[in-house]
Amino acid sequence: MSIDITVKIGGEAGQGIQTMGHMLALVCREAGLYLMAINDFESRIRGGHSFFQIRICDKPVQAPHHKVHLLVALNRETYDLHKGQLASGGRVIMDEIDGSGEGDLIALPFSELAKKAGGMIFANTVAAGACLALLGTPFELFKKVLSKQFGKKGADVLEKNYYAAELGYQVVKEVAFKWSFEWRADKPKGALMDGSKAIALGALAGDCRLAAFYPMSPATGIMTHLSLLSDRFPLIVEQVEDEIAAVNAIIGASFAGTRAMTSTSGGGFCLMTEGLGLAGITETPIVIVNAQRPGPATGLPTRTAQGDLHFVIRASQDEFPRFVFAPGMPDEAYEITSRAFHLSEKYQVPAIILIDQYLADSMYIAQKPYVAPERIERFIAQDDDMENPQQYKRFAVTSTGVSPRALPCAGKALVVISSDEHREDGHISEAIPDRIAMVDKRNAKVPFMIKEMNPPKEYYGESGTLLVGWGSTEGAVKEAVDRLRDEGSDIGCLNFVDLWPFPADAAVDALKKTKQFLMVEQNSTAQLGQLLREQTGFVHSGAILKYDGRPFYPNEIVDGVKKYVR
Amino acid sequence: MVGIKDYESLYKNQWCPGCGNFGILEAMKDALVSLEILPEKLLIVSGIGQAAKTPHFLKCNMFHALHGRALPLATGAKLANHDLKILVNSGDGDCYGEGGNHFMHAIRRNVDLTLLVHNNKTYGLTKGQASPTSDFGMVTPMQPRGVISEPFNGLAVALALGAGFVARGFSGNREHLSRLIREGMQFKGFSLIDIMQPCVSFNRINTYNWYKKRAYDLFEEDYMPDDLENAMKLARQWGDRIPIGVLYRKEKQNFAKHIDVLNKGPLISQQYDPARLQAVLDA
Ligand SMILES: Cc1ncc(C[n+]2csc(CCOP(=O)(O)OP(=O)(O)O)c2C)c(N)n1
Ligand code: SF4
Ligand SMILES: [Mg+2]
Repeated sequence: MSIDITVKIGGEAGQGIQTMGHMLALVCREAGLYLMAINDFESRIRGGHSFFQIRICDKPVQAPHHKVHLLVALNRETYDLHKGQLASGGRVIMDEIDGSGEGDLIALPFSELAKKAGGMIFANTVAAGACLALLGTPFELFKKVLSKQFGKKGADVLEKNYYAAELGYQVVKEVAFKWSFEWRADKPKGALMDGSKAIALGALAGDCRLAAFYPMSPATGIMTHLSLLSDRFPLIVEQVEDEIAAVNAIIGASFAGTRAMTSTSGGGFCLMTEGLGLAGITETPIVIVNAQRPGPATGLPTRTAQGDLHFVIRASQDEFPRFVFAPGMPDEAYEITSRAFHLSEKYQVPAIILIDQYLADSMYIAQKPYVAPERIERFIAQDDDMENPQQYKRFAVTSTGVSPRALPCAGKALVVISSDEHREDGHISEAIPDRIAMVDKRNAKVPFMIKEMNPPKEYYGESGTLLVGWGSTEGAVKEAVDRLRDEGSDIGCLNFVDLWPFPADAAVDALKKTKQFLMVEQNSTAQLGQLLREQTGFVHSGAILKYDGRPFYPNEIVDGVKKYVR
Repeated sequence: MVGIKDYESLYKNQWCPGCGNFGILEAMKDALVSLEILPEKLLIVSGIGQAAKTPHFLKCNMFHALHGRALPLATGAKLANHDLKILVNSGDGDCYGEGGNHFMHAIRRNVDLTLLVHNNKTYGLTKGQASPTSDFGMVTPMQPRGVISEPFNGLAVALALGAGFVARGFSGNREHLSRLIREGMQFKGFSLIDIMQPCVSFNRINTYNWYKKRAYDLFEEDYMPDDLENAMKLARQWGDRIPIGVLYRKEKQNFAKHIDVLNKGPLISQQYDPARLQAVLDA
């Protein structure tokens, strides 16, 4: 039997939806299952409507499913909004005070049971208990997770939670549920991971030592994770006065010798663009994470999008090299983040990591162990490396465009840096030869940087039709490909992760093999499609675009493809 | 031994002859020599403007950064290596206009660095528009009917925000200014020196003579800079008599001291430890 069950927990902000969802995720992980969960919420702290949707599978899963097998409605509105998504045989559990009667509805006395267990704060545990009981989860497994979660809070709290869980189990004992499945005890397959956490860990693997930021959804989670870890590492996480301060502070830190990063979303990135150019002209390595949300301006603060690709590859005035990466999954986000630090320092250019709300806030089971690098390769020049430190020139012209980078006050070599165009020694210059030499020097890095770029990832790359996307849509696109292939289509996909400098030759190699390709992007103008046309001459024959702020579900891609491919 | 010669830059100066910035440059050199700070042990961070070009005309480590953004950049550098001796050269527009927000928050953070605001009450580099500190009514080609906002009082703002070292200098009194810079650099914490700086090209009101007639020296008056109310009164004194000297001085724990991880030494000198990271990854 293969397991593929979706549970959706909906209600108002402040009702503990995430806490309960997290509990379910932990239980599934404990049982050795795979899962993928999305967080859908409004930009408010109380009220409104939010949900947590978890897909539970016995195989790795990387996208949400559009059908719901079990809906936990923490209010009436949830039932009304989502009952249409129920799979056949799907059921809804809801507090009986919010209504009863409909066939698919199981009305349960949640509030009453919670009070019996010790108060309304136990309502989530009661509901989780009922939910897990319906799914067929052994009670012992839930107890194990509860003890891990509440064990630290004392025996009394733990006992009350056990009791609340048991009440939830008992109350649905007689209820038949079509989607209940057999839980085999297996070892956890990996860590419970979301994109934000993976990037925070990746930053540590990149030896990041200063993280300066200004809070902005959906980028704040990265900094929250880093803050929690900062006392164990040589790491300072500083909330500064604005994004302009954030980017300038990390440039200062990097200049002084530590690796540094910031994370923000589009609006904050707008404020950072002048700083990005400063890193560009002063050849100072920095890493910026842009967690995209729909815009422009404030847009949809808690929703997802891929609308900033064109913006980040060109942001800031004039021209200078930079790296742009868009990881697809947390595991990849971990690798990419540490690699971004490495490459940024190696080439002395800014590196931008483009993620989105979907990747930042979604939960997955990590599919491989995360490995700490044995050592950190640094690219710093010391007096000893120089013939004559007194003659040191920070911007010495070299064949690779990369000049030896000394640190201020580290020796006799004086480090002179100016945001004005400059001479090799760093002082301001308006002389024509200096200007040309510096532009050429900076651009000289590009061919070497391109060599570092990985080609797009192919999945059935030899097919007649390819779906082409980038970043976080990878999971949904691949699943759509699987489904279409099961139906007999000759289809595959390409996912771009390394985006800038654009790996044009690799893109040509991948695209020339196929008869046609369709773009799949979370923006309204197929930005990668435009880039492919500009950089390779290949033109997409169609595009499946979603820009409503919600993530792609594989079935939407399947339906989209069918409009183009018969 | 450090001598003035050590600080001579080979880079050609770009200021107008007679500019008040020369007095500041000389006072800086003087202070640095008497503090025996070697050029390779000094970092100057600056924004953009005539004032912000200062480090090019000295020999030292320098980061001549963006307009208004010297302070956050210096803060980042200081967090990375809190052993750095940092001076910041900024203009009145750079510091109080474009960088006003950073100015306020740098004071709140109390980062151990010394900020010199070359206050010429005009935008020198962009050719004489009004600046945040231009007096009410000052006429410029850009403000032909005169400035219609009140001037920004950096010293009063700094005092209100709890700055620990607040001083006013005059570029026409080099010895006095040199002493202020010396004391500012010796102060553990954020130190602000707002410097009355004539701009001979664009400010025909606040000239050398204008300042000379009005400036009086607080050191000579045996003023004790330990009272916030008195300091605030002096910060607001402008007109016939203008006090120069240290208005207020009170040390408190500086930013780096609040950060436990820095007890182990500067961030840049600490070791990367794969085992420590692996433990977190495996948790
Ligand atoms: C973002 C940005 N805006 C505007 C400018 C143009 N600009 C350069 S210097 C300056 C004002 C300088 O005034 P101030 O800081 O008082 O320095 P001064 O030249 O008077 O010493 C301006 C507006 C700039 N370089 N960057
Ligand atoms: S414009 Fe004014 S501030 Fe600038 S160099 Fe000339 S005199 Fe000095
Ligand atoms: Mg000025």
